Amino acid sequence: MTETYTSLREHEGDLVVEAVDQVAEDVVAVTMADPGGDSLPPWTPGAHVDLILEPDLIRQYSLCGTPSDSRTIRVAILKAPDSRGGSVYVHQRVHPGSLVRVRGPRNHFPLVASPRYLFIAGGIGITPLLPMMAAASAAGADWTLLYGGRTLASMAFTDELGPYGNRVTLVPQDELGILDLDTALGQPRGDTLVYCCGPEGLLGAVEQRCAAWPAGALHLERFAAKPAEPDAAADKPFELVLARSGLILTVPADKSVFDVVQQAGVSILGSCHEGICGTCEQIVLDGEVDHRDSILSEDERALNETMMICVSRACSERLTLDL
Amino acid sequence: MTANRPGRARPAVVAPTDCWYALAPSESVGRSLLAYRVAGLPIVVFRTTTGQAVALHDRCVHRPYPLSAGHLDGDSLRCGMCGFIYGPNGQCLSVPTQSRIPLGAAVPAYPVREEQGLVWVWAGEPGRAALHRLPELPWLTKPGWASVGGDRLVQAGFLLLHESFADVTKIPVLDPALSPSVLKALPPPLEVEVTETTVSLSRKYPPGRLPDWQAHALGRPQDEELEHLQEGHFLSPAAWVDHWDVVLDASGTRARMRFTQLVTPVDDRSSRLLWRVSRDFGVEDSATAARLAELFAPYYATLAVALETMQQVFDEDGPEPEVNVSSDVAALRVRQIVQAMLAEERAPVPARRPANLTQRQLSPPRTPGRAQSV
Repeated sequence: MTETYTSLREHEGDLVVEAVDQVAEDVVAVTMADPGGDSLPPWTPGAHVDLILEPDLIRQYSLCGTPSDSRTIRVAILKAPDSRGGSVYVHQRVHPGSLVRVRGPRNHFPLVASPRYLFIAGGIGITPLLPMMAAASAAGADWTLLYGGRTLASMAFTDELGPYGNRVTLVPQDELGILDLDTALGQPRGDTLVYCCGPEGLLGAVEQRCAAWPAGALHLERFAAKPAEPDAAADKPFELVLARSGLILTVPADKSVFDVVQQAGVSILGSCHEGICGTCEQIVLDGEVDHRDSILSEDERALNETMMICVSRACSERLTLDL
Repeated sequence: MTANRPGRARPAVVAPTDCWYALAPSESVGRSLLAYRVAGLPIVVFRTTTGQAVALHDRCVHRPYPLSAGHLDGDSLRCGMCGFIYGPNGQCLSVPTQSRIPLGAAVPAYPVREEQGLVWVWAGEPGRAALHRLPELPWLTKPGWASVGGDRLVQAGFLLLHESFADVTKIPVLDPALSPSVLKALPPPLEVEVTETTVSLSRKYPPGRLPDWQAHALGRPQDEELEHLQEGHFLSPAAWVDHWDVVLDASGTRARMRFTQLVTPVDDRSSRLLWRVSRDFGVEDSATAARLAELFAPYYATLAVALETMQQVFDEDGPEPEVNVSSDVAALRVRQIVQAMLAEERAPVPARRPANLTQRQLSPPRTPGRAQSV
């Protein structure tokens, strides 16, 4: 029998840093281009890339430039000393002329066409929303932005938001308190999509208030994995069928689906291994998924059509994937 | 019957409209009215007196009569039925029976770009056009390259075309006479690379002989064994490009070929295919050009027949589950990208699989625990 081995990978390459701009207290915007001047892959609003800062230091950042610009991409990074090291690395060691390894882009926060949008940003969560607002304006949609931050000086891109005038409401917490979500989200609307990005507290609060909104109205992007995962000690082994590859495997209690698939020699994509980036999403053909990611909505989970195999497992004894 | 077969049904796909489609070569757009259909939308294309290519909705606002069946007078278009006259921006300029123009009388004007020797039309929300780039196809116009090509209407949905381009093993099966000797050997490992909106595949073939025409065009001996590099690129629903390079010497000099396949969905079951075979060798050689046209016009005809046969089966018997193999990952990724585009446009997105399959158990593979490929 002849075997064609197929390997799958995401686009990856070294980009040269063209500019590092201070866009707020502790926030830098990094503009990067191909060193040879080649065009960069197309992307759409909501997309993010991995910055591979060191082999074990891979972080996701939303693209906040212009999708029609084929020459450069831009990300904005908040210096968070208590983070896992990515932001500090960028703030200290990335300068104009530096080479940065970039993987992607990919998009799990796509902007769906709508006559009206409500954008809600908390702090650095403004980044994926910037190209969305430009796209919404271009398409003639009606939109507003509610943008909260610690202080006005800590809020990035307020200058770029200026031309949008009264569509934008800036809410620095030290002056105006926290975002008034009850007023913004109190009345569910069928013609409006809600896009929210920011810290977990804000996302949770928005999620709660959107419970009464139509299914599919709320779109969230998380920077970190959702808290309160199920007790890992209760994990059980299950049988894993990879339909396309013709393989039957066992996922032991202490291994992820991702690891088992990869060890079986099947080429798959993966990045964050925490259920936040969406790279390893796979189509489920059969079996019940125990969803543990931070990407799929409750509705998408209930459909049982796809799963993030880096963290999610099976409730059933057998799980079949289109792999 | 269906329930006993493994796999997933092919989605019946409508086409994304938020995409620049290459409607026609620049030279074919002139002062006559050309009627096209893009993703179900009727579009009339012409060139103004100043040379600007224009695309308007091909239907008079007064009665259902195509403007392409009317007359071009200067930069204005007159309906051949009722005499309503439209400017190149779609605005109604005059009507025959009254001096006032009915309020709001205008046909939609579609954004147009003319680049790389092609007229590109945006059939989606006009405001979003500027946010999207055209696929880059420099070999179509760059000095040092020469192309032969043609176009045809294929009675098959646009996704069937892209999936066939993504299927790297089809050429030796479809047209054994055409394919280089290396394609008939065991396929080497397939590398698939993805981004948010694109899919690329590449393969490196062990040294093999050149086809006769290419050995002749390059002035190389026919029994020489040379390394071949193949790439395929899904750039957008409008464009699939194949690269086929032969490594000529130890320093890596290549003889390069580009196969540009420009696809425009006409409706959900037919497509226009504009194809170009470009080369950076034997550029001035008319015999090579003639030979390439002689080889590839029939190849695309054969491909079209195969695609039309698939569409017929699909039309007559409906979707049925299909078995995919590992090397189908590029085609499946193309499908995912198209589905994501449709979801973003809020166009009807087909279900990922029919409801009757959700509760079905898959029959286990015959040789458990061992990888199989086809």
